Amino acid sequence: MSAEVILQANNITKCFGRDASEVRAVDDVSLKIRRGEMVLIMGPSGSGKTTLLSILGALLSPTAGSVIVCGTDISAMKESELAALRAQKVGFVFQAFNLFEALTVKENILFPASLTAQGIKGATARLDALLDKLGLNERQNALPSTLSGGEKQRVAIARAMINQPPIILADEPTGNLDSHKGQEVMMILHDIARDDDCAVLMVTHDPRVEEIADRVLWLEDGSLRDRKSELHSWVLDPVCGMRVDEWTATVYTEFENRKVVFCSTRCLERFNEEPEFYGDRIDPK
Amino acid sequence: MLYWSLKTLLSEPIRLIASAMAVAVSFVLVIFFSAVFEGESNQMVVYLEKMDADVWVMQKGVSNMHMASSMVWDWKADRIAQIKGVKAVSAILYLNGPVNIGGKDWFSYIIGVSPEYSHAGPWSVIQGKSLPDTGEVVIPDVISRLTGVQIGENVILIDRPLRVVGLSRGTFSMASSVVFVSREDLGDLLEAGDQYSYIMVYADPDVTAQYLIERIEDEVDKVNALSNGEFIESDRQLALQMGAEIISMMTILGTIMATLIVAFTAYSVIARKKQELAIARALGFGNGQIYMAVLYQSVAITLLGLLLAMGCAFTLLAWLPSVIPQIILTVGFNQFIPLVVVSLPVAIMASLAAAYTVTRLDPMIVFSGQ
Ligand SMILES: Nc1ncnc2c1ncn2[C@@H]1O[C@H](COP(=O)(O)OP(=O)(O)OP(=O)(O)O)[C@@H](O)[C@H]1O
Ligand SMILES: [Mg+2]
Repeated sequence: MSAEVILQANNITKCFGRDASEVRAVDDVSLKIRRGEMVLIMGPSGSGKTTLLSILGALLSPTAGSVIVCGTDISAMKESELAALRAQKVGFVFQAFNLFEALTVKENILFPASLTAQGIKGATARLDALLDKLGLNERQNALPSTLSGGEKQRVAIARAMINQPPIILADEPTGNLDSHKGQEVMMILHDIARDDDCAVLMVTHDPRVEEIADRVLWLEDGSLRDRKSELHSWVLDPVCGMRVDEWTATVYTEFENRKVVFCSTRCLERFNEEPEFYGDRIDPK
Repeated sequence: MLYWSLKTLLSEPIRLIASAMAVAVSFVLVIFFSAVFEGESNQMVVYLEKMDADVWVMQKGVSNMHMASSMVWDWKADRIAQIKGVKAVSAILYLNGPVNIGGKDWFSYIIGVSPEYSHAGPWSVIQGKSLPDTGEVVIPDVISRLTGVQIGENVILIDRPLRVVGLSRGTFSMASSVVFVSREDLGDLLEAGDQYSYIMVYADPDVTAQYLIERIEDEVDKVNALSNGEFIESDRQLALQMGAEIISMMTILGTIMATLIVAFTAYSVIARKKQELAIARALGFGNGQIYMAVLYQSVAITLLGLLLAMGCAFTLLAWLPSVIPQIILTVGFNQFIPLVVVSLPVAIMASLAAAYTVTRLDPMIVFSGQ
């Protein structure tokens, strides 16, 4: 594997707060991501995944260390240069979709295109291709409030892709979707890495993605660690029957004095609607 | 980004209208005060304006009508009439004081009109006759409506009952109305049967007021002659000094309030869209573009508010006097200029402050699902 290194972090550290209340959200992290790679960042809640992603996406500057995007060190860049870099090189996909409520699907996707030299006009061919690829043709004039969660996330992915950035950063893109829709989004991101030669870096709690990812980075207390696969504690989601890692799952509830974990909030909501029904299906392990 | 501003505003029309209304209401308040102010101060000099003389002649040392008294021998009017270049003269006896109408004292310009100078009488009478004889009076129709005093009933001037014979229009003001009596009655009261107070001089077409003023002061002793413009201006100034302080205080307070409302509205409109602005930033929009988008919105709201306010103000102008006759409103575009000058920068500052908080925002909020 000798594809071009597109994103590199050298010993980055990020501290929040001062003195006694100081939090080391990211602690001496180094990594390299290449074109065409799909890399997962996993780890317990509060381990610094989102902070790391923000630093790699030039949204947050690290307390120490350097970030190199497409061969350029961004540490010394001014805010306006960082904004331009985000527009050209990075596509963000968020858990909460973050679409612009007043704009249609088409307008949402084209929104970042105004930041390129070719502008919105130059992006129409790519828009059509993305609408096609993501199955959004029918909905291109709809407002976000009328879309399903899966559709919203597909729109967000199209928006992230419209300027053809070499890097896609996704923070729990499936967190608000049911497992079926989540799977769909995962596959789309996977295909983007493969077909568009992008580097896709994704934070997720969904262990099923491990199978399609090229690498998994395990973050704990702000530092990257090796994680042996034996450290998983697999249980079955009582609603959809999916395999979930009990240790890293973020969606869980208490039922009859037991911790019950789910693959997504959707499954938790369904469980809460009929706890007696699903209670019988809790994995006894 | 500007397109986003516009669409975002228009996507919530109710909110947009509500914001603009809030701005408009505060503007209308200010406009209302300043309209009352303008209306009153115009009305204080309405008699002088309606007379439309070229030159006013009065006792030496006097240069006002408001709160002033002036006495000039009546033969001086004839003397002035003979000066070359004078087309006509007219003269009144005058007293600034209260008239008791319907049990209440109304502070008035009391004009004593003699039959030979009927031009000095009321310019618009809606009921009855316009020239009062001895023992008669013409009062403003507004006072008649407010007090219920009709034609045929009596009012009291000092100690003398006078019978209402006519109702005049356009002669009312809250601070000082115009009441017409006969020169004989007023002369009797003032023990000035052979005097006038003010002589109005009308010039021949090719003669300037300035020329007449010089001639009059040359040929007639112990008088002061002022051009129409000068006289009106000095009276307006005096009237403003007297009653206007309270109203101008209210205008200033209203402006401060309007400013606060404008600032608050602009700030809250932007603050509501913080998350979307933060997303735009994450997507690569620079701070300059964020500021522009925000500016666009607050200027749009302020201007819309101003437009609504203008609509309301002119409607008010047409409608209010029929409901509350004692209020004289004057609304002109010049009253909007200070509002725009004050409120637009304030709206811009407030929205920039809101935008500033967006650029200072923790960039990670885009990752948290609200
Ligand atoms: N702006 C901030 N100020 C202070 N502390 C912060 C700030 N942002 C994050 N932190 C802290 O940094 C640590 C890492 O947070 P981060 O959001 O990166 O974790 P995470 O791995 O994304 O967690 P989760 O899985 O719950 O999303 C946490 O302890 C958090 O409280
Ligand atoms: Mg996170």
